[in-house]
Amino acid sequence: MTPEAIDSWTESVRATAQRLNKADDGLRGRREDALQRFQSNGFPGRKDEEWRYTPLKKLVNGPCHQLLPASTRIPVQADLPIEAAARVVLVNGEFQEPLSDFSSLPAGIKIGSLASLRKQDSGAIVDLLSSSFPLQDHPFQSLSDAMLDDGIWIEVSTECRDEVATIHILHAFDGSRGAGSAHVTGIIRCAAGTRLRVVEEVRSEGEVLGNIRWGVALAEDSSLDRVRVIRPGCDSVFHGTRVVQQGGSNFHDLMICAGSNLVRNEVNTIHSGPRCHVELLGVYAARGIEVVDNHTTIEHAVEDCTSREIYRGVLSQKGRGIFTGMIHVHPDAQRIDAKQSNDTILLSRDAEMNSRPRLEIYADDVKCTHGATVGELDEEALFYLRSRGIQLDEARRMLVRAFASEVLSGLDPEELREFIIAELEQCIPESGECAP
Amino acid sequence: MNRKKDEMLLDVQDLHVSVDGTEILRGLNLQVKAGEVHAIMGPNGSGKSTLANVLAGREEYQVDSGTVRYNGLDLLELSADERACEGIFMAFQYPVSIPGISTAYFLRSALNSIRRYRDESEVDPIDFLEMIRSKVELVGIDEKLLQRAVNDGFSGGEKKRNEILQMAVLDPKLAILDETDSGLDIDALRIVAEGVNSLRADDRAIVVVTHYQRLLDHIIPDHVHVLSGGRIVRSGDKTLAQELERDGYAGLGVDDARAGSRT
Repeated sequence: MTPEAIDSWTESVRATAQRLNKADDGLRGRREDALQRFQSNGFPGRKDEEWRYTPLKKLVNGPCHQLLPASTRIPVQADLPIEAAARVVLVNGEFQEPLSDFSSLPAGIKIGSLASLRKQDSGAIVDLLSSSFPLQDHPFQSLSDAMLDDGIWIEVSTECRDEVATIHILHAFDGSRGAGSAHVTGIIRCAAGTRLRVVEEVRSEGEVLGNIRWGVALAEDSSLDRVRVIRPGCDSVFHGTRVVQQGGSNFHDLMICAGSNLVRNEVNTIHSGPRCHVELLGVYAARGIEVVDNHTTIEHAVEDCTSREIYRGVLSQKGRGIFTGMIHVHPDAQRIDAKQSNDTILLSRDAEMNSRPRLEIYADDVKCTHGATVGELDEEALFYLRSRGIQLDEARRMLVRAFASEVLSGLDPEELREFIIAELEQCIPESGECAP
Repeated sequence: MNRKKDEMLLDVQDLHVSVDGTEILRGLNLQVKAGEVHAIMGPNGSGKSTLANVLAGREEYQVDSGTVRYNGLDLLELSADERACEGIFMAFQYPVSIPGISTAYFLRSALNSIRRYRDESEVDPIDFLEMIRSKVELVGIDEKLLQRAVNDGFSGGEKKRNEILQMAVLDPKLAILDETDSGLDIDALRIVAEGVNSLRADDRAIVVVTHYQRLLDHIIPDHVHVLSGGRIVRSGDKTLAQELERDGYAGLGVDDARAGSRT
């Protein structure tokens, strides 16, 4: 990463922060703090353990430091087959009311844009942000904070305890008029006993950094079921989520990603009351020189909670995968049951997987298991399929599908599951050895 | 039994096969006509499973010399999937479990692959379910098993019955049963044998590879061959199997443990 490159980012961030500070929305302090942090830390290099295998060089040295201009253009891709009570569309980080649809939204759920909240109630936005995102040294968080402009907030109140609404959120990044980045902040708060389902989709066109972060607060016995689909064709995506779970709450997360150049997915969940459950699932494919980097932290801060984590990847050609999974069991967090697994199929000799399970356990009465497997397709299974008349390429496809299906089996409706599997399959070349 | 044609369906001549440099089959000859049921018996290590797997097209086996003609084709030139499409089926001694693929999906994919190879139209899921129901009854398995992943968590008997179900669906010209009796109790053995017997046909040959005679009480063979040291040392009719049961392999001058080196 050249110093000039870092300078152009800093310049761009400073100019944007100054422009936004004119609004006098109460976020000046936050923006300046973040700018300071970004200025002194820049982007992490290979010596930073948390970013060791993540190739940021091309992004940093490239032209994405410019902000993407406002747009209403959504990259054309087949729509996900889902039925949602509301559709939220953000293009280049800006909430697009005319493209969104809240007509079937239950009365107990409120959705709004951060840009209008900034105008209406500076006290509220300062509170929301400081409770959702503690300021920290993190390159993408700093960018989000320093240039905080628009985004979305979703509030589920106890009024709609008896129904589970699905909200479809589409992040579109339009780089068709030139390279650039967009920074989006999202906040979800579920009141006690409520349930929400979110299907989040990322589409992107051109040389673009889509920087998305979510702060999620789950009150007692509430539950959030989230499916994220990073659609094929994205350039660089950072997607970060911080979840704070109160007692008895449930966070179920499924990340699907294939056919994008660089995706960094960070999920950080904190259990701050007993009987919480978190489920982190992921299925991804990388081919060519694509990179998928999953970085998760589960903070088991209190007793009697459970977690289950499964990330599965299929890497072909020179595709790379990174998995860093921390499970932190705090002192006195007894009777924790945590399972983690990370499985990878390598379809070529040039594909690479770096799998780093990290377990820090400071309580004694806990069950923590972790496993990482990296291998080729099962030769015995391949022969079995072929001996029944199935050709090699199809047999390989079937085994890849089977590998992914075990994680996707809970994904409803079936049409969505089939759609996702088909899209994954399209991102796996017939012969894993062919040149990128 | 009526023969449709008198020509050989399978003609193995002087077959030599090795695995990792060790010669397993050493000049094996075998001729099978359509409509016939052959039993290949032999002690452990005699090369029975090697023969079955070489015919099915397993690639770890190195064919050093010899020829295999099948239905007018040079079998050794064909890949495993082409062989299956040409009508060869091997029931595995150890059926492989494949988590994540349902048995129904697997069977339909296999059937449609074979149909495409033969320029026949594919079977849609609804017609397939209709068709498979009758076959399920034939091998006496629970229809719910079709929705479970292939052999995943199946009992030994269920796995073997699933092999016979596949055979019934794929309708091969040449079926090779590799130690299908191993690991079966007497009831499961009878059900599997009944399934196989119901698939006996004038245009189909069946080769039963087995260590023990007990399967042959249920599937009566037309020909019995004793394999030892990588070649067939005796051939006869069903009475040869009974002779083996009475006198053991030693009675035939075949040593069970180290048969390979003696012949």
